[in-house]
Amino acid sequence: MSIAEAETALNRAAQRAAAPAGPPAIITDLYDAVTRRGMSLVDVTWEQQRLHESRRWSVVEMLADVDLDALTPIDRNLVWNAGRAELTTKPGADRLERQAEAECRRWQEKNPAVAAIMEACGTWSRYWNEEEAHHETVFNRLADLSGMEPISDETFIAFRQVFPDDDMLRTLMLLAISEITAAVNYGQCQHVVKDPGLRRIFKQVAADEIQHRNYFIAFAKALVDSGEYHAKDAFAVAHLFLREDGELQGSAREQKEDRGTHVNWWDHLDTAETDYRPEALEKKEQLICGALKKITGIEVNSREEVEDTWMDLIGS
Amino acid sequence: MVTPGVESYIRQKFAEHAGLTEEQIFVDDVTLAVVISRSPRMTNSIDLMEAFARTANALRKDHGVRVRLPALPLDTPTSTVLKVFIEEFERQKKETAA
Repeated sequence: MSIAEAETALNRAAQRAAAPAGPPAIITDLYDAVTRRGMSLVDVTWEQQRLHESRRWSVVEMLADVDLDALTPIDRNLVWNAGRAELTTKPGADRLERQAEAECRRWQEKNPAVAAIMEACGTWSRYWNEEEAHHETVFNRLADLSGMEPISDETFIAFRQVFPDDDMLRTLMLLAISEITAAVNYGQCQHVVKDPGLRRIFKQVAADEIQHRNYFIAFAKALVDSGEYHAKDAFAVAHLFLREDGELQGSAREQKEDRGTHVNWWDHLDTAETDYRPEALEKKEQLICGALKKITGIEVNSREEVEDTWMDLIGS
Repeated sequence: MVTPGVESYIRQKFAEHAGLTEEQIFVDDVTLAVVISRSPRMTNSIDLMEAFARTANALRKDHGVRVRLPALPLDTPTSTVLKVFIEEFERQKKETAA
């Protein structure tokens, strides 16, 4: 082996060492990993793949364990709403992939570390999209089998409208909050439904959503850590949801925006005659504050503190 | 009674943060959706929210009153927004003085 070949082999070994050993996990300090620890995009993608593979489950098998005759009207309504809501995740993931790709190109010359974070995010969107496909199909198939009102092709297409682009940090914060809202809702559903098979589905989907939230938090934190994105934008989105009559109130609000461009699933939950709505607003508020702490390092404990901090961060 | 000069101050500051002239915002009593579409600095309602917050921060700095605006739908005309802003200002001013 020549000296040059030996050096190349050593460099490769050093690169391999940058990838974490042990059970697969989300890289929560991504900026540090791609800068100080020298993780390559191949290393990052390997971690994403390992985690994705370790969390796979079968929609067909899960559905086989549900006793359709035992489902109550509330069970069926929760499933029907979940299926409709999950239709909007594909356009969300498609948008993320496209936006991350564009942002990667934009940052490539100016800040290669940010470009790598964007690429890691765009690459991960394929796993997110695939995992969300499980959620969409498990609930919609179940709603269909249990005789709920069919989702028309018109509604299906309307719910597939692609979201407009925004600042990347805001987008990631919004997606983190969307996952928090979904996870808490499904967690609430778990306690309401009677059938063990259906309870297992809600539990599995809630766990997936929490994992997605953790990914969004990790990407958002990496952008803030890079110094190129300002914490105020994460707080702005949190305030948009937490403020009085904000997005967190979802379909319970008296007046909802006619967005024209896309569908936000939280605007379209329909309790029908069951009068049950999985809210747990305090839990969501607490988790949003927790996400802000992880992303920005700034601790807040209530929606009032979120607003005050956001106003201090933007200045005049 | 409305504090003299506050209305024009709010109009001026909001126009400044929206990157528009006061005429573009207030003359035809356009909706907030139109303000977003006209503004070179706004993409969506988060930018609008930020422009209001910057205006509120400026009011706090120059007039010593903290205004918290409610969530306003995008079909709200700017005359209503201005009215809400001034009412909130006067209410908070009274509370601060009490």
